[in-house]
Amino acid sequence: MYYVGVDIGGTFTDCVLVDRQGNHRSAKVLSTKDDPVTGVLAGLGQLAETAGVDLPTLLERTERFGHGTTIGTNAVLERRGARVGLVATAGHGDALLMMRGAGRAAGRTIESVFRVHGTGLPAPLIVPGAVAEVQERVDASGTVVVELDTAAAAEQITRMIWEYDLDSVAIALLWSFANPAHENALAQAIPDAFVSVSSQVSPRLGEYERTVATVLNGYVGPATSGYLSELASRLATPLLVMQSNGGVLPAAAATPLGTLDSGPAGGLIGVATLAGAYGHDQVVGTDMGGTSFDLGLVIDGKPVVAEVNVIDQYTYRLPHLDVRSVACGGGSIAWFDEATGGLRVGPASAGSEPGPACYGRGGTEPTVTDADVVLGLIRAETFLDGRMPLDRAAAVAAVGRLADRAGLTVAETAAGILRINNMQAATVIRQQTLERGLDPRDFVLYAFGGAGPVHAFGYAAESGVREVVIPLGNGASTLSAYGIASGDVVLYHELERSLLAPFDGAALATAVTEVRDAALAGLAAAGVPGEPVVEIDALMRYREQLMHSLEIPVSPPADGASLLAGFDKEYVRRYGEGGTALFEAVEVFALRARVSVPAGIPLPRPEPAGSAGSALAGHAPAGPERTDVYWPGRGWARTGVYRGAPAGTITGPALVELAHTTVAVPHGASLSAGPLGELRLKEF
Amino acid sequence: MTIWDGVRRSYIPGETLCIPGTLRMHTGTADVDPVTFEVIRYSLMNTNLEHGQTIQRLAVSPVTMITRDFQPSILTECGDLVFLGPYLQYFSNAQALTIKWILENRAGNPGIEPGDMFASNDPYVGTPHQPDTIVAAPVFVGDELFCWVANVMHHSDVGGTVMGSFCVDATDIFSDPPAFPPFKLVSRGEVRRDLEEMFLRQSRVPTNVHMDLRAAISANRVAVAKIAALAGRYGADTVKTVMNRVLDAGERTVTQRLAGIPDGRWSHRLYAEAAHTGDAGVYTYQITVRKQGEHLYVDNAGTDPQTGSINVTYAGFSGAFLAALTASLTADLAGAYGGVYRRVHFDPVPGTLSCADFPAAVSPAGIYTMETLISLSGAVIGKMLSCAEPEMAGLAIGPAHPAFYGFIAGGAHPTGEPFVATNADNMIGSLAASPAGDGVDFGGHFWIPEGTASNIEELELLWPMLHLYRRALNAGADGAGQFRGGRGFVEAGIPWTVPGLAAALYVDESFPKAVGPFGGNPGSAGHFRLRHGTDVIARFAAGEVPQDFDAIDGAEAEVEAKGPMLMMGADAAWEWTGANAPGFGDPLARDPGLVEADIDTGALSAEAAERVYGVVPGDEATRTLRAGRLAARLAGAVPPATAPVTVPADVPLRVLAGELAMTERDGSPEAFVTVTGRAVLALAGSNFKDGCAVLERPLHSVAPEFATRDGRAGYQARYREYLCPVTGLRVDSEIVKPGDEPLHDIVIAGAGA
Repeated sequence: MYYVGVDIGGTFTDCVLVDRQGNHRSAKVLSTKDDPVTGVLAGLGQLAETAGVDLPTLLERTERFGHGTTIGTNAVLERRGARVGLVATAGHGDALLMMRGAGRAAGRTIESVFRVHGTGLPAPLIVPGAVAEVQERVDASGTVVVELDTAAAAEQITRMIWEYDLDSVAIALLWSFANPAHENALAQAIPDAFVSVSSQVSPRLGEYERTVATVLNGYVGPATSGYLSELASRLATPLLVMQSNGGVLPAAAATPLGTLDSGPAGGLIGVATLAGAYGHDQVVGTDMGGTSFDLGLVIDGKPVVAEVNVIDQYTYRLPHLDVRSVACGGGSIAWFDEATGGLRVGPASAGSEPGPACYGRGGTEPTVTDADVVLGLIRAETFLDGRMPLDRAAAVAAVGRLADRAGLTVAETAAGILRINNMQAATVIRQQTLERGLDPRDFVLYAFGGAGPVHAFGYAAESGVREVVIPLGNGASTLSAYGIASGDVVLYHELERSLLAPFDGAALATAVTEVRDAALAGLAAAGVPGEPVVEIDALMRYREQLMHSLEIPVSPPADGASLLAGFDKEYVRRYGEGGTALFEAVEVFALRARVSVPAGIPLPRPEPAGSAGSALAGHAPAGPERTDVYWPGRGWARTGVYRGAPAGTITGPALVELAHTTVAVPHGASLSAGPLGELRLKEF
Repeated sequence: MTIWDGVRRSYIPGETLCIPGTLRMHTGTADVDPVTFEVIRYSLMNTNLEHGQTIQRLAVSPVTMITRDFQPSILTECGDLVFLGPYLQYFSNAQALTIKWILENRAGNPGIEPGDMFASNDPYVGTPHQPDTIVAAPVFVGDELFCWVANVMHHSDVGGTVMGSFCVDATDIFSDPPAFPPFKLVSRGEVRRDLEEMFLRQSRVPTNVHMDLRAAISANRVAVAKIAALAGRYGADTVKTVMNRVLDAGERTVTQRLAGIPDGRWSHRLYAEAAHTGDAGVYTYQITVRKQGEHLYVDNAGTDPQTGSINVTYAGFSGAFLAALTASLTADLAGAYGGVYRRVHFDPVPGTLSCADFPAAVSPAGIYTMETLISLSGAVIGKMLSCAEPEMAGLAIGPAHPAFYGFIAGGAHPTGEPFVATNADNMIGSLAASPAGDGVDFGGHFWIPEGTASNIEELELLWPMLHLYRRALNAGADGAGQFRGGRGFVEAGIPWTVPGLAAALYVDESFPKAVGPFGGNPGSAGHFRLRHGTDVIARFAAGEVPQDFDAIDGAEAEVEAKGPMLMMGADAAWEWTGANAPGFGDPLARDPGLVEADIDTGALSAEAAERVYGVVPGDEATRTLRAGRLAARLAGAVPPATAPVTVPADVPLRVLAGELAMTERDGSPEAFVTVTGRAVLALAGSNFKDGCAVLERPLHSVAPEFATRDGRAGYQARYREYLCPVTGLRVDSEIVKPGDEPLHDIVIAGAGA
């Protein structure tokens, strides 16, 4: 029986297969954007071939078929979603339009946020004008202030659907999370449209973000559902769909909104799954690709969850794996800032078109990848297994022009580009760990993505992390697909409930039971068999600290005193003794239940002694060959080159060339294959 | 001799600071390569950003955590700004001034030592108004003062006669909240409880202020530790060199930009109404910028003498101008603005509304005079940029809202616990139109880039109110132009679950203050309305949430600008507005296609399209209607003293903005002309307005959007249009007091009169 994971990315569709013994195989094919199903079938065909079976057999033997899709994300970014209309409380239909006055700056980089010129609001998500404000009102306590005339409102909405030719309706009423009666009544009464209801999609305080969540769900819903049913019918197999929260759900139960941004979540869930297998509790997962550097943390074995997300300047709330992205990848462009006399890297990126100068596709600006080539960390002739030879002369010329302006040698400039890029990556690592009161030195860093393993020694050292793991060895470049294959079924339920310390035990217990039961009911409705695991967090803060939230685990039976102690402990850990403010009351403002059914994916299969890595992609360690590498801080050195993961331990300086990336092992560092096929870099 | 000492008069530091020799200052330098430079620059920038994020997380006041009414900074050992965060920009100069004052006045007694932090909310030293409290922390390396970390934060209430501490009824500082000159709040790492309690004692909401003050201290601590670690790793001399090079780079950048602007002088004036509660006077603010070589010289001559509560000190004046300048000219420096400031020289007239002497009241400045000065600065900088190289002319960002439309209510929760509700929904904002195009609807404010309005649900969670609506304002005559200003919002509410509330602060203008550049219409006047004894609750019971304030039964209260606290019973209802921002250029010159697009999205009614823009269905009908409007303007206008002369079609024009252009002779400005009519208005050294046809009317008669009642200040305000004498298109316009001379506001040096 197989576990299959399929991840459709912008350029490649990755497929991973894991069998009962933990053997895994992967396939990488070009994505077919206009008809993604074709790309998926091609990938699965290749996968079947590697597994020595035909496609129908592979599908027949597949027990869990996990799938991550970017259909929804693309629909938003390209504004090719459904024709959505909004239903709002009378007087509040413009909340989406006004965006709290923050729409111009939301989600923009710090370098651009000061800039007024050329900034504006994003294109609308609803059909302009398609807003039905219905007469109804609920107050902050959930009490109905103005009754809903369901029939009249339904008629009004039906008229809007007709007038604006809508195929999707988003219902987002004020305070609906405190009392969903009016939303539910309307949802029942609306005919023939894809209906999204805010108290179900994002039942949290804040009508703007809740409306965005609901509208986005309606915007991507029809296309996402259509695509998933088509894929399911062509594969004749039930699908589990990857959600941004790091779990999967049966296609019929998956919320379209949850599929937005699910790609990066796949990588982090892969990290978390493997961290369990490798025996790591605290992990920094880093994915450095062509344009961005994605980072997520695993703390105490669990991937970190965040609430607020921004897509194309629209802010919404949904529990999702907290994967931060900064613009420092292989394609980041280096430039000389005449005003300061400093060398800068990014945020502009050459992307994949035209790409770095060494790609020979017309790019002339020096990028991080060009610096790698200049330094010899990436060998021009063996890039991507020799399938895409690079133009070293173009890289040298591009970096050389920058070197002339900076008054440095070409090698110094290239090394400087790496140092600055590493610094930027390390800054995010440091921010993410120290902000939580955690010491980066307690973390193991997992490096994957095309540009991750080649730079990991640099940004790991800069951030203080002591060990680097290249998970799955050769399989590191398809880690997201692995994560999708390995993802548990996960469903979140949230409940806004204000409880002030000292907590009333009965009220706390009621709330905990309520959120737990709702989550379990959701799981039952999704039709997922298996024994669910329930985890509950209380979201806490000092009262009125609206922008702050600490998640404190609640273990039933809920005990107010230990909850409060947990909050104090966490607050002190993050902000120090002086930070606690005993003069203000602590409150629980919401509860979040996570129910999951473990996927139970088998551990990666231990490799037979002496052939570590060879099973991963069929590369026998050859060599070592020798090449000249300029190691930042040390200068040129003859460096051993290994093709494929080596047996035993090697010491730097060395390069290990894998299928889609290179692991750089600096002087004094050691690289060894772990018992489960991963590579471990130490003492860098 | 004028003594700018921060006691009798605002503090303005001299070229060199008088610091006792006992305080050892770090001034070391080192050679820093381009790579190390960037690594350290990036670290410092992030340290400052993380400082801001810490404040945001730990603070409890919505005005801090959501509105972003705060600002962290890193400054050199002598208080020069290295990095400013993306928060409130008119705090640009506040920390620098306060730190320099501390260096000159506190180094001897009580001394400046490692682990210390100084707090101050004294406007005569450095803060724009008393709620904005600075906490500044010196960073030491060894026994040398290496640099400073500081933040400013708006506190919900720091005392004074009015809840929320915007004391519009103050006639001098003794009715304002207390102003504390810098005091050592933290001594060698320990919070001085005596001084902390002294500060908190002034507040109506001490618990709230306590949380926020502790957030400020904690955030400073984190930033100090990070900078000390950076100096430890790379060496203090290296880090200091990077700081100085960041400053030098800012200076180099602004110098290059200034090279694209001809030498000259530009002025603008704005009015305020009501100096204090019970007053209905109109007062003048003026700013003039002179550009000479690589420097800017800024003065406030023409501004009325200080009076009532509508004053600011030097900190406010300079802070507002620098905020508008950096946003217009050097936003790409992303907060590394200290070097820019080196090229801006202020020469304020003391004793005035915009540079008041002690003991003038200043506490309402945060919603009135600071915005007035930012708007004024934006307008004058826009005029300057209109004369610059074409690619720089597009950097003009237009006049911001001249007030921060807001609402502060107070009362008690059903539990009896008192509250002060600062509603900063005006963060929804709107941007002015500019030569580049329409202003951004709901685009916030350029001077507080990340500012965010509360959700209605957040307001109703925090305070006992229910909001009937919060919706977009329609585009209308207010904000109209060839490019229209961004749209603002209007909201209405009632007290909820309590017997009543008090409206402590509200903004009700009897006329709009900010006119659109180069013939654009003024933006909206902000309004606050109140009805007592309404039928809202009865209408709830009948299944209706009232959506039209005019249709709510009840007695309308007469509201005044800066009026007294208004008591509101459980059956009261209020409505208040933000504002549509000013337009740019003549509304009759707007592309009819853009007008129709606004009708299609519901932003503009067909009625307003015809009335304001002269756009009706059909191209020909629109042309005819507009031609008739232009002819009517000229028929009603006073023609120029001499009959207009036009320049031939083959003479090249250099367009400045809208309908205003210049001809040049031998590369020098020759004459002001109009773009469409090609009418010569004046020789380049004279006032172009001299050659315009002038149409002047009471402002309230221009459009229903500008209506007010007789007896209010705005009833006397006049709208003066300077028209092309050939076409009737507006070249410029002014809001004036009766009898005001035309402002000679654009003077390009080297142009003969």
